[in-house]
Amino acid sequence: MSDILIAVLRSGTPLIYVALAGMLAQRAGVWHLGLEGLMIAGACAAAVGVEQTGSVAAGLALAVLVCVLGSTLLWFVVEKLRANPIIAGLGLTGLGLGGADLTVQSIYGSEASVTAGAGLPRLGDAFGAFGVLSVLVAAMPVVVLLLWVLLRRTRFGLRLAACGEHPFAARSVGVAPSRMRLIALMGGGVLCALGGAELALGTLQLFSNNMTAGRGFMAFAAVIFGGGHPIGSALAALFFSIVEAAGIKAQLVFGEKAPRDLLLALPYLATVIGVWISGRLRGGLKAAASGGELRDN
Amino acid sequence: MKGKVLSVLRALAFVVVALALCGVVFELAGFSAPLMFQSIADGAFTSPNALMKSLRWAMPLLITACGVLVSFRCGYFNVGAQGQFYLGAIGATVAVEALNGAPPALVVPVAIASGMVGGALWAAWPGFLRIRWGTDEVITTLMGNFLAGLLLVYLTSGPLKDPSGTGQVTASRPVALGYRIATSVGVSPTIIALTLATLVLVWLLVNRTAFGVLSSLAGRNPVMIVWQGAKLSSLGLSAFLVSGALAGLAGAIELLGPNGRLVSGFLPGHGFTAVLIALVAGLSVTGVAVVSMFFGGLAAASLYLPVIAGLPAAAIDVINAAIALFITARTFPLPAALLERLPARRPAP
Repeated sequence: MSDILIAVLRSGTPLIYVALAGMLAQRAGVWHLGLEGLMIAGACAAAVGVEQTGSVAAGLALAVLVCVLGSTLLWFVVEKLRANPIIAGLGLTGLGLGGADLTVQSIYGSEASVTAGAGLPRLGDAFGAFGVLSVLVAAMPVVVLLLWVLLRRTRFGLRLAACGEHPFAARSVGVAPSRMRLIALMGGGVLCALGGAELALGTLQLFSNNMTAGRGFMAFAAVIFGGGHPIGSALAALFFSIVEAAGIKAQLVFGEKAPRDLLLALPYLATVIGVWISGRLRGGLKAAASGGELRDN
Repeated sequence: MKGKVLSVLRALAFVVVALALCGVVFELAGFSAPLMFQSIADGAFTSPNALMKSLRWAMPLLITACGVLVSFRCGYFNVGAQGQFYLGAIGATVAVEALNGAPPALVVPVAIASGMVGGALWAAWPGFLRIRWGTDEVITTLMGNFLAGLLLVYLTSGPLKDPSGTGQVTASRPVALGYRIATSVGVSPTIIALTLATLVLVWLLVNRTAFGVLSSLAGRNPVMIVWQGAKLSSLGLSAFLVSGALAGLAGAIELLGPNGRLVSGFLPGHGFTAVLIALVAGLSVTGVAVVSMFFGGLAAASLYLPVIAGLPAAAIDVINAAIALFITARTFPLPAALLERLPARRPAP
């Protein structure tokens, strides 16, 4: 039983951090489809940073720097140049995927992967079987709760939500939606860096091209499934990774009888179903979001 | 007309901005930016041979981009062209396998039609979910891309696997030479004719039919269209189907033409590039024809770079992505002081 739980936490933690980043952006009124790009950039920067300097802290710092810069770029393009957030987000994703590929090739020649010398600190033997998990896994519930408090119990959180739901109202009481969105996106950048670092350094201590495999988009779907709520988004992300772990488990149990590639498709299918359900429950988040934009003009 | 010229100029300006950003990325990643751009131009445009290769890549991209254009004009972000393209290739392969031995005059049209049906079906379910229940089509079509990719891996390593195949890349049996509509060069009269026919038909569809007019109105103001008595649901679903069928057509052409067999994970950036082409062209059909050539050139360069110039092909992905980042931008950031001196701004549409 505990091995399944460990597998779920391992694959779920990066997804949850990135989903929280998407949730922050969603709250501030930005549809964040650049999550995939920020996640791979974070994973790549963390692995390269550790490999080059030998220090995990330096790797993490590099990942945070890269992701915050990427988020700022997205903010500039969406808010200042008034680009379409969906297309610009997909562009940021492409930039992350291509940039990571380019960086790895320029530093390590034609190799498609980077092996980092060290990983994130582990929890240690005091936690028994769970000791193999990284500290970021243990920090994850704390981060979820802190974000919940921040968004639901502080003035800042309410203002952020106002910027997403009714920017005109926010502006009329002296809150600049544009600035709040910058803060939300930069905070999301930090979370994406943590998610990417956990993905690359949590277990494998390895970065390979395209290792995110659509997890950033799944995280975005988790935000929609979770209704833009911190705990809801985290639970939705956890649900997707439970499905993924179940697929891997089924593969081990059934072996050759179950086609491997179709089991790999399970999390993507779960994502589609999740978005479908949330659309039915709430009549679609998109309608609300576009209404907000209309009012903003 | 003046507005059109301005919008073309603005698109070009943002492409230049995007290329400048790429230059910075190349330098940061440790490559020489001038050398990179020079090699890309060599691979894409500066010799007749390179131009021929650009044309080879431009034609399927043009067809897929025409499909993307139809759904975007209608106001639906169908970003699943990649998956629909794969399903088109799968549909064509299934038809070729089923009819193996029949005369080419029968097999080729059936395979192409089957590819178009495959693509249309892969666009139909996100379209249906969107129109029936408001399920966000960006997510469903993106997930559809991953699902189609996995389906392709499954089919090429299972049911459609080439029994004599070895090596790491899984692939289906090669299409018999009689059924091929082009050699691996990829430029043949059949493909050129299919591309031109698509271009003309989509132009007519968009500019000269009730569907085209209504769907572009629906893209701008769906509420008005409903009040005018048009059926938004059938309009939207048709847009999804046409868009998927065209991506499927491109997939079938790739399969019967230059590719010649189903290979897992082939042309991974095709759908995304087609979305870009449609956007850079400002969702105009004539624009798509011109812009495809540019992106076809980039696609040709992405094969040229690693082989001839010894530079990574990912450079092309970065250029595409940077263009995507900027292409929908609507304003240059002007200092507030400058804005105040301009005449009063018109209210936003």
